[in-house]
Amino acid sequence: MTTAQAAKGVSEDWLSVWIGLAIFVLCLGPLVGADVLGWGVTTAVWTDPSKALAPVSKAYGGLSGVGSLIVTYVVLLVLLTGGATLLRARVGKFIGGFTVVFWASYLCWIIGSWAYIAATSDRLKAFGISWSLSLTAEAGFLVALIAGLAVGNLFPRVTAAIKEATRPEWYIKTAIVLLGGFLGITAAERLGLATSVMFRGLCAIIEAYLIYWAVVYFVARKWFGLSREWAAPLASGISICGVSAAIATAGAIKARPIVPIMISSLVVVFSCVELLILPFLAQTFLYTEPMVAGGWMGLAVKTDGAAVASGAITDSLIRAKALTMQGVSYQEGWIVGTTTTVKVFIDMFIGVWAFILAVIWTTAIERRPGERANRRQIWERFPKFVIGYVVTFLIVLCIGVSAPGLTSKAKAAMGEANVFRGIFFVMTFFTIGVMSNFRKLWDEGLGKLAGIYLLCLFGFIIWVGLLVSWLFFHGIKPPVMPG
Amino acid sequence: MAEQRLADELKRNEEPLLPVEKKLIGWSLIAGVILLGVLIWISYTFFPA
Repeated sequence: MTTAQAAKGVSEDWLSVWIGLAIFVLCLGPLVGADVLGWGVTTAVWTDPSKALAPVSKAYGGLSGVGSLIVTYVVLLVLLTGGATLLRARVGKFIGGFTVVFWASYLCWIIGSWAYIAATSDRLKAFGISWSLSLTAEAGFLVALIAGLAVGNLFPRVTAAIKEATRPEWYIKTAIVLLGGFLGITAAERLGLATSVMFRGLCAIIEAYLIYWAVVYFVARKWFGLSREWAAPLASGISICGVSAAIATAGAIKARPIVPIMISSLVVVFSCVELLILPFLAQTFLYTEPMVAGGWMGLAVKTDGAAVASGAITDSLIRAKALTMQGVSYQEGWIVGTTTTVKVFIDMFIGVWAFILAVIWTTAIERRPGERANRRQIWERFPKFVIGYVVTFLIVLCIGVSAPGLTSKAKAAMGEANVFRGIFFVMTFFTIGVMSNFRKLWDEGLGKLAGIYLLCLFGFIIWVGLLVSWLFFHGIKPPVMPG
Repeated sequence: MAEQRLADELKRNEEPLLPVEKKLIGWSLIAGVILLGVLIWISYTFFPA
Protein backbone atom coordinates (compact mmCIF):
# COMPACT_ATOMS: atom_id res chain seq x y z
CA MET A 1 0.00 0.00 0.00
CA THR A 2 1.43 3.37 -0.91
CA THR A 3 1.34 6.34 1.41
CA ALA A 4 -1.13 8.03 -0.89
CA GLN A 5 -3.42 5.02 -0.70
CA ALA A 6 -3.14 4.93 3.07
CA ALA A 7 -4.28 8.54 3.22
CA LYS A 8 -7.27 7.71 1.03
CA GLY A 9 -8.54 4.77 3.08
CA VAL A 10 -8.14 1.01 3.18
CA SER A 11 -6.12 -0.39 0.28
CA GLU A 12 -7.63 -2.45 -2.53
CA ASP A 13 -5.17 -5.11 -1.49
CA TRP A 14 -6.59 -5.55 2.03
CA LEU A 15 -10.14 -5.04 0.85
CA SER A 16 -9.82 -7.89 -1.63
CA VAL A 17 -8.67 -10.11 1.25
CA TRP A 18 -11.68 -9.26 3.45
CA ILE A 19 -14.28 -9.45 0.67
CA GLY A 20 -12.77 -12.64 -0.71
CA LEU A 21 -12.67 -14.23 2.74
CA ALA A 22 -16.25 -13.13 3.52
CA ILE A 23 -17.54 -14.80 0.35
CA PHE A 24 -15.32 -17.82 0.98
CA VAL A 25 -16.65 -18.32 4.54
CA LEU A 26 -20.26 -18.04 3.38
CA CYS A 27 -19.53 -20.53 0.60
CA LEU A 28 -18.43 -23.07 3.22
CA GLY A 29 -22.08 -23.32 4.29
CA PRO A 30 -22.67 -26.72 2.58
CA LEU A 31 -20.07 -28.24 4.94
CA VAL A 32 -22.45 -27.62 7.85
CA GLY A 33 -25.68 -28.11 5.92
CA ALA A 34 -26.41 -24.43 5.30
CA ASP A 35 -26.51 -23.40 1.63
CA VAL A 36 -26.09 -19.65 2.05
CA LEU A 37 -24.88 -18.59 -1.41
CA GLY A 38 -26.53 -21.20 -3.60
CA TRP A 39 -28.54 -18.50 -5.36
CA GLY A 40 -25.39 -17.31 -7.18
CA VAL A 41 -25.89 -17.31 -10.95
CA THR A 42 -24.10 -19.73 -13.25
CA THR A 43 -24.01 -19.62 -17.03
CA ALA A 44 -24.20 -22.85 -18.99
CA VAL A 45 -23.22 -23.30 -22.63
CA TRP A 46 -26.46 -22.68 -24.52
CA THR A 47 -28.31 -22.85 -27.79
CA ASP A 48 -31.54 -21.63 -26.20
CA PRO A 49 -30.78 -18.37 -24.35
CA SER A 50 -33.65 -18.95 -21.92
CA LYS A 51 -31.69 -21.92 -20.55
CA ALA A 52 -28.36 -20.14 -20.20
CA LEU A 53 -28.75 -18.96 -16.62
CA ALA A 54 -29.53 -20.85 -13.40
CA PRO A 55 -28.75 -20.72 -9.68
CA VAL A 56 -25.62 -22.71 -8.80
CA SER A 57 -27.36 -24.83 -6.16
CA LYS A 58 -30.34 -27.10 -6.69
CA ALA A 59 -31.54 -25.97 -3.27
CA TYR A 60 -32.53 -22.72 -5.00
CA GLY A 61 -34.21 -24.45 -7.96
CA GLY A 62 -37.35 -22.34 -7.49
CA LEU A 63 -35.42 -19.21 -8.48
CA SER A 64 -35.32 -18.42 -12.20
CA GLY A 65 -32.01 -17.83 -13.99
CA VAL A 66 -32.74 -14.14 -14.49
CA GLY A 67 -33.88 -13.90 -10.86
CA SER A 68 -30.62 -15.43 -9.66
CA LEU A 69 -28.68 -12.98 -11.87
CA ILE A 70 -30.54 -10.04 -10.35
CA VAL A 71 -29.99 -11.32 -6.80
CA THR A 72 -26.29 -11.83 -7.57
CA TYR A 73 -26.04 -8.28 -8.93
CA VAL A 74 -27.81 -6.74 -5.92
CA VAL A 75 -25.71 -8.62 -3.36
CA LEU A 76 -22.43 -7.82 -5.13
CA LEU A 77 -23.51 -4.20 -5.54
CA VAL A 78 -24.14 -3.89 -1.80
CA LEU A 79 -20.93 -5.72 -0.88
CA LEU A 80 -18.68 -3.81 -3.27
CA THR A 81 -20.32 -0.46 -2.59
CA GLY A 82 -19.44 -1.05 1.06
CA GLY A 83 -15.91 -1.76 -0.10
CA ALA A 84 -15.87 1.35 -2.27
CA THR A 85 -16.89 3.39 0.78
CA LEU A 86 -13.90 2.02 2.67
CA LEU A 87 -11.72 2.88 -0.34
CA ARG A 88 -13.07 6.43 -0.07
CA ALA A 89 -14.31 6.18 -3.64
CA ARG A 90 -17.18 8.41 -4.82
CA VAL A 91 -19.99 6.05 -3.90
CA GLY A 92 -22.67 7.46 -6.23
CA LYS A 93 -20.35 7.21 -9.22
CA PHE A 94 -19.21 3.77 -8.12
CA ILE A 95 -22.78 2.45 -8.00
CA GLY A 96 -23.46 3.70 -11.53
CA GLY A 97 -20.11 2.49 -12.81
CA PHE A 98 -20.39 -0.91 -11.17
CA THR A 99 -23.86 -1.39 -12.61
CA VAL A 100 -22.49 -0.84 -16.13
CA VAL A 101 -19.42 -2.99 -15.49
CA PHE A 102 -21.46 -5.86 -14.02
CA TRP A 103 -24.17 -6.02 -16.68
CA ALA A 104 -21.81 -5.43 -19.60
CA SER A 105 -19.41 -8.07 -18.31
CA TYR A 106 -22.13 -10.60 -17.65
CA LEU A 107 -23.72 -10.03 -21.03
CA CYS A 108 -20.31 -10.77 -22.58
CA TRP A 109 -20.10 -13.96 -20.58
CA ILE A 110 -23.53 -15.06 -21.80
CA ILE A 111 -22.55 -14.28 -25.41
CA GLY A 112 -19.28 -16.21 -24.98
CA SER A 113 -21.24 -19.21 -23.70
CA TRP A 114 -23.18 -19.58 -26.97
CA ALA A 115 -22.69 -23.18 -28.09
CA TYR A 116 -21.27 -22.18 -31.49
CA ILE A 117 -18.49 -20.35 -29.63
CA ALA A 118 -18.06 -22.41 -26.49
CA ALA A 119 -19.09 -26.04 -27.01
CA THR A 120 -16.23 -28.54 -27.01
CA SER A 121 -16.11 -31.22 -29.72
CA ASP A 122 -17.46 -33.97 -27.47
CA ARG A 123 -20.68 -32.02 -26.87
CA LEU A 124 -21.62 -30.92 -30.39
CA LYS A 125 -24.19 -33.73 -30.76
CA ALA A 126 -25.73 -32.93 -27.40
CA PHE A 127 -26.33 -29.37 -28.58
CA GLY A 128 -27.50 -30.48 -32.03
CA ILE A 129 -24.88 -28.38 -33.85
CA SER A 130 -22.31 -29.39 -36.46
CA TRP A 131 -19.47 -27.02 -35.60
CA SER A 132 -18.13 -24.79 -32.85
CA LEU A 133 -15.08 -22.66 -32.11
CA SER A 134 -14.55 -24.92 -29.05
CA LEU A 135 -13.40 -22.03 -26.89
CA THR A 136 -15.37 -23.26 -23.82
CA ALA A 137 -17.47 -20.93 -21.69
CA GLU A 138 -14.34 -18.94 -20.79
CA ALA A 139 -14.67 -17.40 -24.26
CA GLY A 140 -16.89 -14.94 -22.42
CA PHE A 141 -13.73 -13.52 -20.86
CA LEU A 142 -12.33 -12.71 -24.30
CA VAL A 143 -15.64 -11.22 -25.42
CA ALA A 144 -15.53 -9.05 -22.27
CA LEU A 145 -11.96 -7.98 -23.03
CA ILE A 146 -12.82 -7.01 -26.61
CA ALA A 147 -15.93 -5.15 -25.43
CA GLY A 148 -13.83 -3.36 -22.80
CA LEU A 149 -11.23 -2.41 -25.42
CA ALA A 150 -13.98 -1.01 -27.63
CA VAL A 151 -15.32 1.08 -24.75
CA GLY A 152 -11.87 2.23 -23.60
CA ASN A 153 -10.70 3.28 -27.05
CA LEU A 154 -13.89 4.41 -28.80
CA PHE A 155 -16.17 5.78 -26.07
CA PRO A 156 -14.18 8.13 -23.82
CA ARG A 157 -17.31 9.54 -22.15
CA VAL A 158 -18.48 6.08 -21.08
CA THR A 159 -14.95 5.29 -19.91
CA ALA A 160 -14.93 8.44 -17.78
CA ALA A 161 -18.42 7.75 -16.43
CA ILE A 162 -17.52 4.26 -15.16
CA LYS A 163 -13.99 5.13 -14.04
CA GLU A 164 -14.80 4.77 -10.34
CA ALA A 165 -15.73 1.11 -10.86
CA THR A 166 -12.96 0.37 -13.36
CA ARG A 167 -10.80 -1.49 -10.86
CA PRO A 168 -9.39 -4.65 -12.45
CA GLU A 169 -6.75 -5.11 -9.75
CA TRP A 170 -9.39 -5.13 -7.01
CA TYR A 171 -11.59 -7.58 -8.88
CA ILE A 172 -8.77 -9.97 -9.76
CA LYS A 173 -7.28 -9.94 -6.27
CA THR A 174 -10.68 -10.85 -4.82
CA ALA A 175 -10.97 -13.58 -7.45
CA ILE A 176 -7.52 -14.89 -6.54
CA VAL A 177 -8.50 -15.14 -2.84
CA LEU A 178 -11.49 -17.25 -3.92
CA LEU A 179 -9.33 -19.22 -6.35
CA GLY A 180 -7.18 -20.36 -3.41
CA GLY A 181 -10.02 -22.50 -2.04
CA PHE A 182 -10.78 -24.03 -5.44
CA LEU A 183 -7.12 -24.92 -5.95
CA GLY A 184 -6.97 -26.21 -2.37
CA ILE A 185 -9.56 -28.89 -3.00
CA THR A 186 -7.94 -29.68 -6.36
CA ALA A 187 -4.53 -30.04 -4.66
CA ALA A 188 -5.92 -32.16 -1.82
CA GLU A 189 -6.79 -34.87 -4.30
CA ARG A 190 -3.25 -34.91 -5.74
CA LEU A 191 -1.03 -33.62 -2.94
CA GLY A 192 2.28 -34.91 -4.36
CA LEU A 193 1.67 -33.27 -7.72
CA ALA A 194 0.56 -30.01 -6.07
CA THR A 195 3.73 -29.89 -3.92
CA SER A 196 5.88 -30.45 -6.98
CA VAL A 197 4.10 -27.70 -8.92
CA MET A 198 4.47 -25.24 -6.05
CA PHE A 199 8.20 -25.89 -5.59
CA ARG A 200 8.87 -25.62 -9.31
CA GLY A 201 6.83 -22.44 -9.46
CA LEU A 202 9.05 -20.95 -6.79
CA CYS A 203 12.18 -22.00 -8.70
CA ALA A 204 10.86 -20.55 -11.94
CA ILE A 205 10.25 -17.11 -10.51
CA ILE A 206 13.72 -16.90 -8.92
CA GLU A 207 15.05 -17.33 -12.43
CA ALA A 208 12.66 -14.71 -13.75
CA TYR A 209 13.85 -12.12 -11.24
CA LEU A 210 17.55 -12.72 -11.72
CA ILE A 211 17.65 -13.09 -15.49
CA TYR A 212 14.76 -10.93 -16.73
CA TRP A 213 15.46 -7.86 -14.64
CA ALA A 214 19.18 -7.72 -15.36
CA VAL A 215 18.75 -8.03 -19.13
CA VAL A 216 15.91 -5.50 -19.38
CA TYR A 217 17.80 -3.01 -17.20
CA PHE A 218 20.90 -3.43 -19.37
CA VAL A 219 18.94 -2.98 -22.61
CA ALA A 220 17.15 0.10 -21.28
CA ARG A 221 20.34 1.73 -19.98
CA LYS A 222 22.91 0.71 -22.56
CA TRP A 223 20.99 0.41 -25.82
CA PHE A 224 18.20 2.93 -25.28
CA GLY A 225 20.07 5.36 -23.02
CA LEU A 226 17.37 5.67 -20.36
CA SER A 227 18.25 7.23 -17.04
CA ARG A 228 18.39 5.03 -13.95
CA GLU A 229 15.18 6.62 -12.70
CA TRP A 230 13.29 5.31 -15.75
CA ALA A 231 15.26 2.13 -16.39
CA ALA A 232 14.84 0.47 -12.98
CA PRO A 233 11.02 0.75 -12.69
CA LEU A 234 10.69 -0.10 -16.39
CA ALA A 235 12.84 -3.23 -15.90
CA SER A 236 10.69 -4.27 -12.95
CA GLY A 237 7.48 -3.48 -14.82
CA ILE A 238 8.45 -5.51 -17.87
CA SER A 239 10.21 -8.35 -16.14
CA ILE A 240 8.53 -8.95 -12.80
CA CYS A 241 4.92 -8.16 -12.19
CA GLY A 242 3.81 -5.11 -14.03
CA VAL A 243 2.15 -2.30 -12.18
CA SER A 244 2.93 -3.39 -8.61
CA ALA A 245 6.60 -4.00 -9.36
CA ALA A 246 7.02 -0.71 -11.22
CA ILE A 247 5.46 1.18 -8.31
CA ALA A 248 7.48 -0.73 -5.69
CA THR A 249 10.75 -0.18 -7.56
CA ALA A 250 10.01 3.49 -8.18
CA GLY A 251 9.41 3.88 -4.44
CA ALA A 252 12.59 1.99 -3.59
CA ILE A 253 14.80 4.19 -5.77
CA LYS A 254 12.87 7.38 -5.00
CA ALA A 255 11.75 7.99 -8.58
CA ARG A 256 9.21 10.75 -9.28
CA PRO A 257 5.54 9.63 -9.18
CA ILE A 258 5.15 10.28 -12.93
CA VAL A 259 7.60 7.45 -13.71
CA PRO A 260 5.59 4.45 -12.39
CA ILE A 261 2.35 6.02 -13.63
CA MET A 262 3.66 6.20 -17.19
CA ILE A 263 5.19 2.74 -17.02
CA SER A 264 1.99 1.31 -15.54
CA SER A 265 -0.02 2.53 -18.51
CA LEU A 266 2.44 0.71 -20.79
CA VAL A 267 2.21 -2.43 -18.69
CA VAL A 268 -1.58 -2.52 -18.84
CA VAL A 269 -1.69 -2.03 -22.60
CA PHE A 270 0.93 -4.68 -23.34
CA SER A 271 -0.65 -7.13 -20.87
CA CYS A 272 -3.81 -6.76 -22.86
CA VAL A 273 -1.95 -7.58 -26.08
CA GLU A 274 -0.34 -10.62 -24.45
CA LEU A 275 -3.71 -11.74 -23.13
CA LEU A 276 -5.11 -11.76 -26.64
CA ILE A 277 -2.16 -13.63 -28.19
CA LEU A 278 -0.36 -15.95 -25.77
CA PRO A 279 -3.21 -18.29 -24.73
CA PHE A 280 -3.84 -19.10 -28.40
CA LEU A 281 -0.12 -19.66 -29.02
CA ALA A 282 -0.10 -21.95 -25.99
CA GLN A 283 -3.11 -23.84 -27.29
CA THR A 284 -1.50 -24.29 -30.70
CA PHE A 285 1.98 -25.36 -29.60
CA LEU A 286 1.74 -26.52 -25.98
CA TYR A 287 -1.41 -28.62 -25.75
CA THR A 288 0.81 -31.63 -25.12
CA GLU A 289 2.56 -29.79 -22.26
CA PRO A 290 -0.30 -28.14 -20.34
CA MET A 291 1.65 -27.24 -17.20
CA VAL A 292 4.43 -25.62 -19.25
CA ALA A 293 1.72 -23.44 -20.76
CA GLY A 294 0.37 -22.54 -17.31
CA GLY A 295 3.82 -21.63 -15.97
CA TRP A 296 4.53 -19.67 -19.16
CA MET A 297 1.46 -17.46 -18.66
CA GLY A 298 2.58 -16.68 -15.12
CA LEU A 299 6.11 -15.81 -16.23
CA ALA A 300 5.30 -13.90 -19.40
CA VAL A 301 2.05 -12.00 -18.85
CA LYS A 302 2.34 -8.96 -16.61
CA THR A 303 -0.20 -7.70 -14.04
CA ASP A 304 -2.03 -10.14 -11.80
CA GLY A 305 -5.28 -9.68 -13.66
CA ALA A 306 -3.97 -10.39 -17.13
CA ALA A 307 -1.72 -13.26 -15.99
CA VAL A 308 -4.34 -15.22 -14.08
CA ALA A 309 -6.88 -14.39 -16.76
CA SER A 310 -4.49 -15.76 -19.40
CA GLY A 311 -4.06 -18.87 -17.27
CA ALA A 312 -7.83 -19.34 -17.11
CA ILE A 313 -8.19 -18.97 -20.89
CA THR A 314 -5.21 -21.25 -21.50
CA ASP A 315 -6.69 -23.82 -19.11
CA SER A 316 -9.90 -24.02 -21.11
CA LEU A 317 -8.30 -23.76 -24.57
CA ILE A 318 -5.73 -26.47 -23.91
CA ARG A 319 -8.21 -28.83 -22.29
CA ALA A 320 -10.50 -28.40 -25.28
CA LYS A 321 -7.67 -29.04 -27.77
CA ALA A 322 -6.29 -32.01 -25.82
CA LEU A 323 -9.76 -33.50 -25.87
CA THR A 324 -10.12 -32.96 -29.61
CA MET A 325 -6.61 -34.00 -30.66
CA GLN A 326 -5.72 -36.66 -28.11
CA GLY A 327 -9.04 -37.69 -26.62
CA VAL A 328 -7.65 -36.76 -23.19
CA SER A 329 -9.84 -34.87 -20.74
CA TYR A 330 -7.62 -33.05 -18.26
CA GLN A 331 -9.01 -32.01 -14.89
CA GLU A 332 -9.94 -28.33 -14.82
CA GLY A 333 -7.89 -25.93 -12.72
CA TRP A 334 -4.35 -27.33 -12.85
CA ILE A 335 -3.15 -25.06 -15.65
CA VAL A 336 -4.58 -21.89 -14.15
CA GLY A 337 -3.36 -23.20 -10.78
CA THR A 338 0.20 -23.31 -12.12
CA THR A 339 -0.15 -19.78 -13.51
CA THR A 340 -1.49 -18.55 -10.18
CA THR A 341 1.24 -20.30 -8.19
CA VAL A 342 3.94 -18.66 -10.31
CA LYS A 343 2.22 -15.27 -10.13
CA VAL A 344 1.68 -15.44 -6.38
CA PHE A 345 5.35 -16.27 -5.79
CA ILE A 346 6.35 -13.41 -8.08
CA ASP A 347 4.12 -11.05 -6.08
CA MET A 348 5.51 -12.27 -2.78
CA PHE A 349 9.05 -11.41 -3.84
CA ILE A 350 8.32 -7.91 -5.12
CA GLY A 351 8.91 -6.51 -1.63
CA VAL A 352 12.19 -8.38 -1.30
CA TRP A 353 13.39 -7.20 -4.70
CA ALA A 354 12.36 -3.61 -3.96
CA PHE A 355 14.29 -3.86 -0.70
CA ILE A 356 17.41 -5.17 -2.46
CA LEU A 357 17.22 -2.33 -5.00
CA ALA A 358 16.64 0.21 -2.23
CA VAL A 359 19.78 -1.02 -0.43
CA ILE A 360 21.86 -0.86 -3.64
CA TRP A 361 20.51 2.59 -4.57
CA THR A 362 20.94 4.13 -1.13
CA THR A 363 24.36 2.61 -0.44
CA ALA A 364 26.05 2.61 -3.82
CA ILE A 365 24.25 4.48 -6.60
CA GLU A 366 22.58 7.53 -5.11
CA ARG A 367 24.02 7.70 -1.64
CA ARG A 368 22.09 10.29 0.39
CA PRO A 369 23.01 11.24 3.95
CA GLY A 370 20.77 9.74 6.62
CA GLU A 371 18.85 7.43 4.24
CA ARG A 372 18.73 3.69 4.86
CA ALA A 373 16.54 0.94 3.54
CA ASN A 374 14.62 -0.93 6.24
CA ARG A 375 12.85 -4.25 6.57
CA ARG A 376 9.52 -2.52 7.00
CA GLN A 377 9.62 -1.76 3.28
CA ILE A 378 9.37 -5.49 2.58
CA TRP A 379 6.11 -5.70 4.50
CA GLU A 380 4.79 -2.47 2.98
CA ARG A 381 5.42 -3.81 -0.51
CA PHE A 382 4.11 -7.29 0.28
CA PRO A 383 0.92 -7.93 -1.72
CA LYS A 384 -1.61 -8.59 1.05
CA PHE A 385 -4.12 -10.42 -1.13
CA VAL A 386 -1.61 -13.26 -1.22
CA ILE A 387 -2.44 -13.82 2.47
CA GLY A 388 -6.09 -14.37 1.55
CA TYR A 389 -5.11 -16.76 -1.24
CA VAL A 390 -2.87 -18.79 1.08
CA VAL A 391 -5.50 -18.89 3.85
CA THR A 392 -8.31 -20.17 1.60
CA PHE A 393 -5.92 -22.62 -0.08
CA LEU A 394 -4.70 -24.06 3.24
CA ILE A 395 -8.16 -24.24 4.86
CA VAL A 396 -9.63 -26.26 2.00
CA LEU A 397 -6.45 -28.31 1.58
CA CYS A 398 -6.57 -29.23 5.30
CA ILE A 399 -10.26 -30.16 5.05
CA GLY A 400 -9.57 -32.33 2.00
CA VAL A 401 -6.53 -34.07 3.51
CA SER A 402 -7.72 -34.49 7.13
CA ALA A 403 -11.38 -35.31 6.46
CA PRO A 404 -11.71 -37.08 3.10
CA GLY A 405 -15.38 -37.74 3.91
CA LEU A 406 -16.05 -34.03 3.54
CA THR A 407 -14.38 -33.77 0.13
CA SER A 408 -17.63 -33.89 -1.87
CA LYS A 409 -19.20 -31.20 0.32
CA ALA A 410 -16.03 -29.09 0.09
CA LYS A 411 -16.19 -29.45 -3.70
CA ALA A 412 -19.79 -28.23 -3.69
CA ALA A 413 -18.77 -25.31 -1.47
CA MET A 414 -15.91 -24.38 -3.76
CA GLY A 415 -18.27 -24.75 -6.72
CA GLU A 416 -20.28 -21.90 -5.22
CA ALA A 417 -17.11 -19.88 -4.59
CA ASN A 418 -16.19 -20.51 -8.22
CA VAL A 419 -19.37 -18.77 -9.36
CA PHE A 420 -18.26 -15.55 -7.70
CA ARG A 421 -14.67 -16.03 -8.85
CA GLY A 422 -15.97 -16.25 -12.42
CA ILE A 423 -17.94 -13.04 -12.04
CA PHE A 424 -14.91 -11.21 -10.64
CA PHE A 425 -12.84 -12.66 -13.49
CA VAL A 426 -15.17 -11.47 -16.23
CA MET A 427 -15.35 -8.00 -14.67
CA THR A 428 -11.54 -8.00 -14.58
CA PHE A 429 -11.36 -8.73 -18.30
CA PHE A 430 -13.88 -6.02 -19.14
CA THR A 431 -12.19 -3.36 -17.00
CA ILE A 432 -8.69 -4.27 -18.22
CA GLY A 433 -9.99 -3.57 -21.71
CA VAL A 434 -11.56 -0.28 -20.60
CA MET A 435 -8.24 0.85 -19.09
CA SER A 436 -6.18 -0.02 -22.16
CA ASN A 437 -6.23 3.19 -24.11
CA PHE A 438 -3.79 2.69 -26.98
CA ARG A 439 -4.24 6.19 -28.41
CA LYS A 440 -3.43 7.86 -25.10
CA LEU A 441 -0.19 5.93 -24.87
CA TRP A 442 1.11 7.32 -28.12
CA ASP A 443 -0.24 10.79 -27.39
CA GLU A 444 1.90 10.88 -24.25
CA GLY A 445 5.10 10.43 -26.24
CA LEU A 446 5.94 7.05 -24.78
CA GLY A 447 7.14 5.62 -28.07
CA LYS A 448 10.66 5.00 -26.79
CA LEU A 449 9.49 3.21 -23.64
CA ALA A 450 7.04 1.23 -25.74
CA GLY A 451 9.91 0.28 -28.07
CA ILE A 452 11.96 -1.09 -25.18
CA TYR A 453 8.91 -2.87 -23.83
CA LEU A 454 8.14 -4.40 -27.21
CA LEU A 455 11.73 -5.48 -27.82
CA CYS A 456 12.25 -6.98 -24.36
CA LEU A 457 8.85 -8.57 -24.01
CA PHE A 458 8.45 -10.15 -27.43
CA GLY A 459 12.16 -10.54 -28.19
CA PHE A 460 13.31 -11.95 -24.89
CA ILE A 461 11.01 -12.32 -21.90
CA ILE A 462 8.29 -14.37 -23.54
CA TRP A 463 10.81 -16.87 -24.92
CA VAL A 464 13.03 -17.08 -21.83
CA GLY A 465 9.84 -17.47 -19.80
CA LEU A 466 8.84 -20.32 -22.10
CA LEU A 467 12.28 -21.94 -21.71
CA VAL A 468 12.27 -21.59 -17.90
CA SER A 469 8.71 -22.90 -17.72
CA TRP A 470 9.62 -25.84 -19.97
CA LEU A 471 12.70 -26.66 -17.86
CA PHE A 472 10.66 -26.83 -14.66
CA PHE A 473 7.26 -28.10 -15.83
CA HIS A 474 7.78 -30.29 -18.89
CA GLY A 475 6.53 -33.83 -18.53
CA ILE A 476 4.14 -32.89 -15.71
CA LYS A 477 0.53 -33.47 -16.68
CA PRO A 478 -2.71 -32.54 -14.91
CA PRO A 479 -4.79 -35.47 -13.65
CA VAL A 480 -7.00 -36.99 -16.35
CA MET A 481 -10.76 -37.07 -15.80
CA PRO A 482 -12.17 -40.59 -15.62
CA GLY A 483 -14.40 -41.85 -18.43
CA MET B 1 4.09 20.97 -22.82
CA ALA B 2 4.62 18.51 -19.95
CA GLU B 3 4.26 15.63 -22.41
CA GLN B 4 6.83 17.24 -24.71
CA ARG B 5 9.28 17.61 -21.82
CA LEU B 6 8.77 13.96 -20.94
CA ALA B 7 9.58 12.91 -24.50
CA ASP B 8 12.71 15.11 -24.43
CA GLU B 9 13.74 13.67 -21.09
CA LEU B 10 13.48 10.14 -22.46
CA LYS B 11 15.65 11.08 -25.44
CA ARG B 12 18.60 12.28 -23.34
CA ASN B 13 21.47 10.01 -22.36
CA GLU B 14 23.51 11.65 -19.65
CA GLU B 15 24.04 8.79 -17.25
CA PRO B 16 26.71 6.25 -18.21
CA LEU B 17 26.50 2.79 -16.64
CA LEU B 18 28.28 2.90 -13.29
CA PRO B 19 30.55 0.03 -12.22
CA VAL B 20 28.04 -0.86 -9.49
CA GLU B 21 25.26 -1.16 -12.08
CA LYS B 22 27.47 -3.40 -14.23
CA LYS B 23 28.12 -5.53 -11.14
CA LEU B 24 24.41 -5.71 -10.36
CA ILE B 25 23.62 -6.87 -13.91
CA GLY B 26 26.56 -9.28 -14.08
CA TRP B 27 26.07 -10.91 -10.68
CA SER B 28 22.35 -11.16 -11.21
CA LEU B 29 22.85 -13.05 -14.48
CA ILE B 30 25.63 -15.26 -13.05
CA ALA B 31 23.48 -16.10 -10.01
CA GLY B 32 20.52 -16.76 -12.30
CA VAL B 33 22.42 -19.21 -14.51
CA ILE B 34 24.05 -21.06 -11.58
CA LEU B 35 20.78 -21.25 -9.64
CA LEU B 36 19.02 -22.51 -12.76
CA GLY B 37 21.18 -25.64 -12.74
CA VAL B 38 20.91 -26.10 -8.97
CA LEU B 39 17.13 -25.62 -8.83
CA ILE B 40 16.48 -27.93 -11.78
CA TRP B 41 18.52 -30.62 -10.02
CA ILE B 42 16.62 -30.10 -6.73
CA SER B 43 13.27 -30.11 -8.54
CA TYR B 44 13.83 -33.36 -10.36
CA THR B 45 15.59 -35.04 -7.42
CA PHE B 46 13.39 -34.08 -4.47
CA PHE B 47 10.11 -33.02 -6.12
CA PRO B 48 9.52 -35.44 -8.99
CA ALA B 49 6.24 -35.09 -10.85
